[in-house]
Amino acid sequence: MNRQRYTRAGLCCLALLLAVTPALAQQNNQRRPRRAVLEIPEVERSEVICFALYTVHDNTLKLTAQLYPLQSGESRTVGLEIETDGNWVEVARTNVIEPGWTAPFRVENWDDTRAANYRVVHGTAAKYEGVIRKNPVDKDEIVVAGFTGNSIQPAHGGDISRQDLIDNVRKVDADVLFFSGDQVYDHNKHLAAWLKFGRDFGDIIKDRPTLCLPDDHDVGQPNLWGESGKISTLSGNADGGYRQPGIYVQEVERAQTSHFPDPVDPGKIGQGIGVYFTNLNWGNIDFAILEDRKFKTGPAGRVPKQGPRPDHIRNPEYDPASVDVDGAVLLGQRQLDFLDSWAQDWRDASMKVALSQTIFCGGAHIHGSANGRLHADMDSNGWPQTGRNRALKALRKAFAFHYAGDQHLATIFHHGIDEHRDAIWSFCVPSIANLYLRWWEPLEPGQNREPSSPEYTGDHLDGFANKVTNYAAANPEKMPAGNVLNTRSAGFGIVRLNTQTRQITMECWPRNVDVTDPSAKQYPGWPRTISQFDNYNPPSWGKLGELTFDVDSPVVQLVDRDSDEILYTVRIAGKTFVPAAPKDKTFLIKAGKDAPETIVVKDAKVGGAAQSVSLK
Amino acid sequence: MHYYWEGPYGVLLWQDATYDLATGLGLSWDEFVGTGADDGFVQKWIARIWWLYLACTLLTITVRKTSWVQMSGLVLGSGLLTLLSYASYVAAQRQLPMFIEHGGQMLIPLILVMALALGVRHRVTVTTAVIALIMTFAGHGCYAIGFWPTPGNFYAMTTLILGADYSTAQMLLRTAGVLDFLVCIGICIPYLRRASALYASVWGFLTAVARPVAGMSWGLNYWGADQFLHETALRAPHFAIPLFLFFLWRKPGEKKVSPRSAEGDR
Repeated sequence: MNRQRYTRAGLCCLALLLAVTPALAQQNNQRRPRRAVLEIPEVERSEVICFALYTVHDNTLKLTAQLYPLQSGESRTVGLEIETDGNWVEVARTNVIEPGWTAPFRVENWDDTRAANYRVVHGTAAKYEGVIRKNPVDKDEIVVAGFTGNSIQPAHGGDISRQDLIDNVRKVDADVLFFSGDQVYDHNKHLAAWLKFGRDFGDIIKDRPTLCLPDDHDVGQPNLWGESGKISTLSGNADGGYRQPGIYVQEVERAQTSHFPDPVDPGKIGQGIGVYFTNLNWGNIDFAILEDRKFKTGPAGRVPKQGPRPDHIRNPEYDPASVDVDGAVLLGQRQLDFLDSWAQDWRDASMKVALSQTIFCGGAHIHGSANGRLHADMDSNGWPQTGRNRALKALRKAFAFHYAGDQHLATIFHHGIDEHRDAIWSFCVPSIANLYLRWWEPLEPGQNREPSSPEYTGDHLDGFANKVTNYAAANPEKMPAGNVLNTRSAGFGIVRLNTQTRQITMECWPRNVDVTDPSAKQYPGWPRTISQFDNYNPPSWGKLGELTFDVDSPVVQLVDRDSDEILYTVRIAGKTFVPAAPKDKTFLIKAGKDAPETIVVKDAKVGGAAQSVSLK
Repeated sequence: MHYYWEGPYGVLLWQDATYDLATGLGLSWDEFVGTGADDGFVQKWIARIWWLYLACTLLTITVRKTSWVQMSGLVLGSGLLTLLSYASYVAAQRQLPMFIEHGGQMLIPLILVMALALGVRHRVTVTTAVIALIMTFAGHGCYAIGFWPTPGNFYAMTTLILGADYSTAQMLLRTAGVLDFLVCIGICIPYLRRASALYASVWGFLTAVARPVAGMSWGLNYWGADQFLHETALRAPHFAIPLFLFFLWRKPGEKKVSPRSAEGDR
């Protein structure tokens, strides 16, 4: 009798397990917010060209048209036409690359001194028009609108129209659009999501140079340590490499980056994956396009376990030096070599900006929800510390300003290597729609804060003991509710680069505001304006004697006489310049109209006399 | 695994509905999620779940035919594994095969209980084992054949272990997917069931060890064992259940054992 009872009880448990869980799942399915349906829509054949992205650099136009899937029997050839004297003239023709349906054009000897209307043509019916802008070298201020994190899920406000972003980009007439990563969050259907991205943003992308950097989610994984194209098998991908097949990654990069200027060092990495790190010179701003994930080493199995995930450190007592292991790479040597030459090349450039997926520090303390305090996150570019310092040393030699995203938390940091504030500034923009919340919330108040600034600002050590100085953080609300976009600190960034005053102004706007409305407010801590020269001005340095040149805005280079190390190269503003330099050392100063070809001072020291220099 | 690495329960707990429930139980926001300076209820309890699994492991070792307490604990353990599978399903954006493929993991404690309580040859025990096998292989098959997007790590492991290029790896995965479904059918056909169970045992073993084989390396701390070995342990039901069925059916043509006679096995 007992046996029968137990048998029945066991069977009931089995039935419960098999039936109740799916039933509950279905119940939750009805309760939970609806999910975005991501499909490729059927379009009229006249609408088969979804959008087009382009850049112009060094008199070469590169434009990639993104098509919807073509039907069998349809032509696989697409033309690019330019309007000349009222007539459309074909300047290039290309074949559609079927995995991804992209049509990449290249037009050399492009005259960038005038704007041109263009249209992409497929068959007899499909035409897509836009404007190739003239190179804005005559503008004092170059405006770069920055975006990151484009969730389309209703739970994050991702289903809310992007029209506010479109309107504001038009109102500020941005010269360049910069999407720092996670344009796509779907890990399997990049094409469908990319086409949706094009439908959402194509109207502003088609008329101005646009840079999209594919980040982890774009290539189909939650985090990315590219490790030179290795294959990743670990859940979470902290073992380094790519989770999706190389062919998938190639398709993503073709869609998002094939319109970039040619890569400076185009050798492929593992799985046939290409590289796209290069520079774009536009409006006398020289943008270095980094891809800071591509060579970065994965931490799993290389660093001692310090938390519940291979890439998370939750033990505040750990020794930061213990994770800065030999062999761990942040930027690859090829990228560092590129930065070294880029930092010294000031042809047609007044200012330099580095664009990358994320910032060079651990820029958040609380992850995921209003809990989850992480001491350090190795997905950030604060790790490995040695690689982080190498990258910053390379960038500060060019007084480069760093514009990035990825963190889902807008911040301004002034980075330090040997001392606080001895390297570059970075601006991390907020997400378009915020998938994953983070907070900058140090336990100790920052040192050397500005008067009446929040305690979270000031000098800090991040979780890797990197020196950082925070000036602003757009922390989301602890219990986001109501306005699902802005309580989750969604928004976008605007950076204004003034090539005359050499000032850099960072703006951080919430969603659904009119940036031209005087009553519209930015997130607390913004706007902030810095000088280009603040990007390498260590507090411990002194000043060399003032140099007065007989040409306007020459290029000046400071070289350590003992080590021959180039400390920095920069195009100065105007005819006078007071170089900053370490104390107790002697320097060579080189200068020239467009390159530092002439030694103008052989033994410069801090506190030295002013000098006049002729470069004519 | 839950002692060393964090389980994927956060996806279930970080929801407004969960917080509403916690509020109903008298927990404040700070108590529930922490102050930011310390861990809240959620983090603390996620970190303690491993105790429950350790207890279930001990129950598995100590359970006997008449150990009803242990058996009850194992039934609850099956519920724990079901919860874990449900968390994986939610984390995978509610892809149905993700839940289904965990059938082996979810049901194996119940199969043990049934084998002890009813007998290894009892039709309920055998049917449950067959269901577990079908769930595992049908779930994997849905992914491998491409009914749902084939996970990147399927390609990754195939490429790393076999050195296959993408198109070859895809062909192999599609083939494996077809075979997965054939196993699901074959296991229900008396004439084919033993061969199907043997294939399922071998394939289940190979796929379970594929993760450490593909991921471990001499250059990693502990050779990467702490990153990958538990993945094989977690997937042990993928080959253990078909192996159980294979040995159970090791005498083809044997007279079918009735439930009453199976009771005699006890």
